[in-house]
Amino acid sequence: MTHSNGRRRVVVTGQGVVTPLGTGVDRFWAALKNGECGIRQVQSFSTEDLYITIAGEIPDFDPRERLQSKPLILADKYSQYAGCAAQEAVAQSKLELPIKDNESYRSACIIGSGVGGLTTLEFSYKMLFKENKRATHPLTLLKAIGSSASAHVSIEYGIKGPTFGVVSACATATHAIGLTYRMIREGLVDLGIAGAAEASLNWGATRAWQAMRVLSPDGLWPFAKKRNGTVLAEGAGILMLEEYERAKERGAPILAELMGYGMTADAADMVNPSIDGASMAMQMALDDAHLSPSEVDYVNAHGTATAVNDVNETRAIKRVFGNAANKLSISSTKSMHGHCLGAGGGIEAVAAIKAIGEKFVPPTVGLDEPDPECDLDYTANVGRKREVNYAMSNSFAFGGLNAVLVFGPPPA
Amino acid sequence: MDTDPERGRESDMDDVATKIIEILRKNMKDPSKAVTLETPLSELEIESLDLAVIVFDIEDTFGIEIPYNANEEVEAFATVGSVVDRVKSIIAETKASGAAA
Repeated sequence: MTHSNGRRRVVVTGQGVVTPLGTGVDRFWAALKNGECGIRQVQSFSTEDLYITIAGEIPDFDPRERLQSKPLILADKYSQYAGCAAQEAVAQSKLELPIKDNESYRSACIIGSGVGGLTTLEFSYKMLFKENKRATHPLTLLKAIGSSASAHVSIEYGIKGPTFGVVSACATATHAIGLTYRMIREGLVDLGIAGAAEASLNWGATRAWQAMRVLSPDGLWPFAKKRNGTVLAEGAGILMLEEYERAKERGAPILAELMGYGMTADAADMVNPSIDGASMAMQMALDDAHLSPSEVDYVNAHGTATAVNDVNETRAIKRVFGNAANKLSISSTKSMHGHCLGAGGGIEAVAAIKAIGEKFVPPTVGLDEPDPECDLDYTANVGRKREVNYAMSNSFAFGGLNAVLVFGPPPA
Repeated sequence: MDTDPERGRESDMDDVATKIIEILRKNMKDPSKAVTLETPLSELEIESLDLAVIVFDIEDTFGIEIPYNANEEVEAFATVGSVVDRVKSIIAETKASGAAA
């Protein structure tokens, strides 16, 4: 089957993750299949005076073990996560390194972050204002800026084409992957490392989130009647994207085709999402992929477990999919890895790609009793074996910023 | 426990009520609108994010912590008077437990 209509096709040749369920795609996928949960009591800072004391921290990340390059070992954690996930994606793609001179300018590195090196900033302000230090660490600025992850990874692999970060809160990774896909499709570049990283779990940020009153003190239970908010997490999700003919010619492993991308803004409210914005983004992604709704088998939902998101997303899915919504397998893997914020869309894209490759839909855990207003098949508690040809991944961010990806099987 | 028969009445504009109405006005689009203890917050066009800001301001003003989750229905925040009552009872609890910090 071909949906190319003469245009350049884009395939995924590598993927990498750092998640609260563990580092590396194999570990991550095994945990998703088993319905494990990576949300635990916070270890990395004191929660004594907080009422939110749980989060999705990375359980197995020692930078000196995971990373080879000294600049990355000295970088902020968010860049380290990006570097580690990129390393996995590049290795899997079997790309010949270093990238040849004539190809380096036709390679992209678009890695975003919701807030960049927030923990570095918190530390340095503490040193200045509380400890009365005379200066901050000389690397503070380079660690903090939101483009340092993309810069570090471009340096690692000699990528000299479009390199920058994108920012759209919890849709960041999805926008980064979508933009890179479009750059490859339109012929601007032939390959790109794309995704996002987030490592903003710290005392100050938890305080700020607490003040918004949207976090759950107990757990992240998407679509459930008992849901009472989201749970913060961190990590990275990175894809290696390549133009199909090129990937085929060099014998790269082709994991999936990236077939469609849609992006919209609600232009309505900073926190209350709209059905219009979400459904239009999904529709655009389907149109871009030349797929009808009934061809999609699996939707990896945004599913944050806030009161408003899950009902709004359910309604938006129904609007786009119509009767086909009842045959869809849906799940929110956030129930297991938490809300990885800017990195979420990258991690969830990997879950969608694995669902296609492994013919398995990961579950939504903690879904004992669904909210009556959330009445679709969210793959409650136990994952399911099923043919997954086409999978959609939704990301809907604060500010009403929406981005949706559609993946399909490797081109035949 | 609310046993004070005066509490919640329109005439009961004590210090706590006055301060809370002041905070509400800061977050209203039209602060000149009439606000009484009976006014429902919905009439003041106060939405979820505004409520988070208001709760923060109240906590800061009175040195208390108000358990409030935007994902749950919170009846304590239906009217201005119910907010005043809730704050008063938290102030009393805070004093009783001596947890001023």
